[in-house]
Amino acid sequence: MRDLKNAGKYYWHYLKKYWFGFLMTAILIGISTACIVIAPTYLGRAVSELTTYLQQWTNTATRGDASLGSFHKTLWVYLVLYLGDASTLLIASMILARITAYSTGTMRVGLFRKMQRMQVQYFDSHSDGDILARYTSDLDNIFNAMNQALIEIFLSVAQFVGILIVMFNQNVTMAWVTMGSTPIALIIAAVVMKKAGVAVNHQQDDIGKMNGYINEQVTAQKVIITNGLQKDSIAGFRKHNQKVRQSAMSGQIWSGVLNPLMQGMALLNTAIVIFFGSWFALNGTLSTGAALALVVVFVNYAQQYYQPIMSLTSLYGMIQLAITGARRVDEVRSQPDEVQPADGKSLAGIKNELQIDDVHFSYLPGKEILHGVSISVHKGEMVALVGPTGSGKTTVMNLLNRFYDVDSGGITIDGTDIREFSLKELRKNVGIVLQDPQLFSGTIADNIRFGDPEASMERVIDAAKQANIHEFIASLPKGYETEVSDEQSIFSAGQKQLMSIARTILTNPQLLILDEATSNVDTVTEANIQAAMDRVIQGRTSFVIAHRLKTILNADKIVVLKDGTIIEQGNHDKLLAEDGFYAGLYRNQMVTD
Amino acid sequence: MKVLMPYIRRYRKDVYIALISVIALVFATLWQPRLLQVIMNAILKGDKDTIFQQGIILIILAIIGIIAGVVNTIYSAHVALGVATDLRSDLYDKVQSFAYADVEKFSASNLVVRMTNDINQIQQIVMATFQQVSRIPLLFVGAFILAMITMPQQWWVLIGMMIIVIAVSLYTYKKMSGYFAKTQQDIENVNTVARENLMGIRVVKSFVQEPHEIKKFSAASDSLTKVTAKIGYTFAILMPAFFLTANIAVVLAVYLVGQNITIHPTYLAAITSFISYLMQILFAVINGGFLMIAASRANISLGRIGEVMKTDPSMSYVEGNSDPVEGDIEFDHVTFTYPGDDAPTLRDVSFKVNAGEMIGIVGATGSGKTTLAQLIARLYDPDSGTIKVGGVDVRQLSEKSLRKTVAYVLQRSTLFSGTISANLRQVKEDATPIQMQWAANVAQASEFIERLPLTYDAPVEERSSNFSGGQKQRLSITRGVIAQPKILILDDATSALDAKSEKLVQEALDRDLTKTTTVVIAEKISSILRADRILVLDSGRIVGNGNHKELVAHNSVYQEIYRTQKAREGARS
Repeated sequence: MRDLKNAGKYYWHYLKKYWFGFLMTAILIGISTACIVIAPTYLGRAVSELTTYLQQWTNTATRGDASLGSFHKTLWVYLVLYLGDASTLLIASMILARITAYSTGTMRVGLFRKMQRMQVQYFDSHSDGDILARYTSDLDNIFNAMNQALIEIFLSVAQFVGILIVMFNQNVTMAWVTMGSTPIALIIAAVVMKKAGVAVNHQQDDIGKMNGYINEQVTAQKVIITNGLQKDSIAGFRKHNQKVRQSAMSGQIWSGVLNPLMQGMALLNTAIVIFFGSWFALNGTLSTGAALALVVVFVNYAQQYYQPIMSLTSLYGMIQLAITGARRVDEVRSQPDEVQPADGKSLAGIKNELQIDDVHFSYLPGKEILHGVSISVHKGEMVALVGPTGSGKTTVMNLLNRFYDVDSGGITIDGTDIREFSLKELRKNVGIVLQDPQLFSGTIADNIRFGDPEASMERVIDAAKQANIHEFIASLPKGYETEVSDEQSIFSAGQKQLMSIARTILTNPQLLILDEATSNVDTVTEANIQAAMDRVIQGRTSFVIAHRLKTILNADKIVVLKDGTIIEQGNHDKLLAEDGFYAGLYRNQMVTD
Repeated sequence: MKVLMPYIRRYRKDVYIALISVIALVFATLWQPRLLQVIMNAILKGDKDTIFQQGIILIILAIIGIIAGVVNTIYSAHVALGVATDLRSDLYDKVQSFAYADVEKFSASNLVVRMTNDINQIQQIVMATFQQVSRIPLLFVGAFILAMITMPQQWWVLIGMMIIVIAVSLYTYKKMSGYFAKTQQDIENVNTVARENLMGIRVVKSFVQEPHEIKKFSAASDSLTKVTAKIGYTFAILMPAFFLTANIAVVLAVYLVGQNITIHPTYLAAITSFISYLMQILFAVINGGFLMIAASRANISLGRIGEVMKTDPSMSYVEGNSDPVEGDIEFDHVTFTYPGDDAPTLRDVSFKVNAGEMIGIVGATGSGKTTLAQLIARLYDPDSGTIKVGGVDVRQLSEKSLRKTVAYVLQRSTLFSGTISANLRQVKEDATPIQMQWAANVAQASEFIERLPLTYDAPVEERSSNFSGGQKQRLSITRGVIAQPKILILDDATSALDAKSEKLVQEALDRDLTKTTTVVIAEKISSILRADRILVLDSGRIVGNGNHKELVAHNSVYQEIYRTQKAREGARS
């Protein structure tokens, strides 16, 4: 029920502006349905007129009066009604197609906009696949449901109401006969749908587990082959496969049986209508012609009567998915945005110093990561952060750029807390180079000028040169115009980091945060990165998160973090002389024969 | 289809029952208008007995219809799931018989998609075939014949209607297929931008490029919106056009009946059943069209599965005894090129390693270190030259024998979800707790395993996400040594370990696995200082072979690597 409420809220938000379109659709479909339900009465009338004509014609006394004129007129009316149906239905379908396409387009862009405003915390606490599924599968389910279900719902409801009205207008007794089996059909539908829901959930669970197993095994095929584990792997798979077979069997049967059951009910209902109709025709007070017409009309209604019920039940699964989809997208929509100061101060670089003052921070309440960290940096200095995994090095970076905010304490630039600057101003002044930098699809030049799309080609090339990547780019057949994406591997991991350095150089930030690449970079490429880093650090205030100590021997200040606390602080020679944690790390990493 | 038929044949009995029930269902559906006609005639004549009798038959017929529908669903599901399960099982067996090069050729994620999504597509189309598709031609032909019997003169009304409906379908289908291709492309573009921004959210935020990225995404999304709207407009024509055509046919038929009513007075009672048949034909044609589209999609899946099934493993093993061989290794003029590459990765590599030696392999990224190690484990076969293990060409060793001889520990260590002990038992079925502890001691893993509440029975989650990088590597080494292999390859397998633990692992290997040949591939020279011999690789060639002292003195490639890793002068302590 909560799902339904959230989904309702979501659709209301995106669909309310199309109220006029929906209103038009409702009117058009109303007209179309009126045509459809009235039309059979004219068919019935045609038959009855034909019967009268035949009777008059057979009787030699009245043969002269027999005329097909009114029969023809009735047929024309029938035809006009169907023309009316077709044209109104066409316009209504087009309106709905437009609403569907444009509203889901707005939903898609809305989701993306929201994503750009959200706190980094959300991305850190949800898997990429899960968030991406909101674009791929949830929005897709919403689109499918709107595309197919919307018109069906309009039509079915209108048709159902229309048929009821016309049936009761025609003949109350026969109308009740036609509706007689409805409660049974509804009970059957409810029971089957409930069973199907449970069975399909089981099925999806088992399929999920099996897919997980296949994925785990096949992506680790190297391990399987080198250890000769193929037989084990197959045996494990068989178990999952059999389980899926069993649960999917009941899932498929329960969800597949609804349609034939409803079709069967329609068949049964038609039989009942024919049976009662003919009994009624013979025992009633109607003329033969009128009785015949009544049967014809109600057989037609009986067939149409089940149509909306069948449509709606077959849409059930699709609508269910669309409700879940809307709920999941709405969940993102209700996430908090990044905190922006009301009137943020502007920031024109660091004049004197940056202070990290007694900062406490936790990602999860109660699990503090930084316990009172204080570091002060003068303009132009380089600070290296060193420490084992989980010591809080990367956390410091997250705080400097306000990806997260401190729990207590503060970070100040020339005495002003960074939370008082406008977020945009702050980030324009802070440049980061990440461990595993993301490239974006587009040309190499686009990627280097990512931070300033207006930058000239000279500036792009200059940045690439400073980052030691120009020569490689120039060696590519298309040079700077080479199309890249993050998946395709023109660049090695090391070269990607050089690209990331070039990208940062171009924006000329005042404060620099460098998260050094850890692995997959051989020592020669590393020397290249080192040279580029030295160049970019030159003259800027910088924080370097170092994994290889070689990088930071020249740092003005080395801060050793362990379990969220600073345990040592000073330059290389000082720390080595202290012979503490840092000196141990250093001896471990370097070849000291 | 050739792929599918043998599987369907296995469920012959279920297929027959499904088909018979479909026929029963179609019979019930088509016979109803017939009986109606009889009853109508009886009404005209006022014949109560016939009406009562036929009415009972009508209801029995409807009940037969319901039962047939249910039976059909059950047996269609039997066939569909039987076929899907068997097909998936065979596909999985096939993939497990593949050499690593074959897996790479398809790519692992691609194979997973074929085993999951593609099989699912086929399951659905098989289900639909026995539930719906088989009904369509029967309904179509049946309705057509019965309509002709009912009013033989009006055959051309039926044909005319069908021609118009099919022509409209073909026209829209043709127009639409262009749009569909564009939709696919647009969806991909939208997803690419979304994925990039998701993974690079920190980059976007720190460069303050949110507005620019929104513009980029909106452009991609708007293009998709426009094409989906166009598809929607085209689809909107279909249904109204179909029903209008059908009703024009109805009017035409009734009109003709009226014109000739004095010649064929019985047609008066036949009008309703004729219209019923006409509608059945229309629905059969429409559904047939939709199923054609679904079938073409399933056909693509079937092709993708067939492609895997038809691939023969590119490598085979000789039969033979499963005993391990000795631990000496010999490369004799080995050249190797990855499938699809132009230039060889290893060029004319020759060297020998004695049993029990420790060998280090160093070189820049892409110099061929891992490739060389993979050839020892026979993940690939060389283009030319031979690789001998224990004096035997690896191509002449049985699979069991080779796997028992060589243990390969990868840099990206993968454990399977389950428990630690289950992972270890995969390699050594009868591993005792004591043996596990011994192996964990060697790998320096016992200290953290024993701190876990369930120790060796502690769970390993998917992607081993409950262990840190260093712990994963240590568990991986534990698995590598538990069966006491003759040759142990550590492919950068200690990269996440600190130098102290790395040293302890190597000392333990020295002490506890004296007879084991150890091949250590490393980025850090410190990892291989203790090696008896070091091979230096440069662009696929061996350019150095000696111990650390010799190489530092004479080998320029080694000197360059060493220089970048050496401690600063005077930093020794």
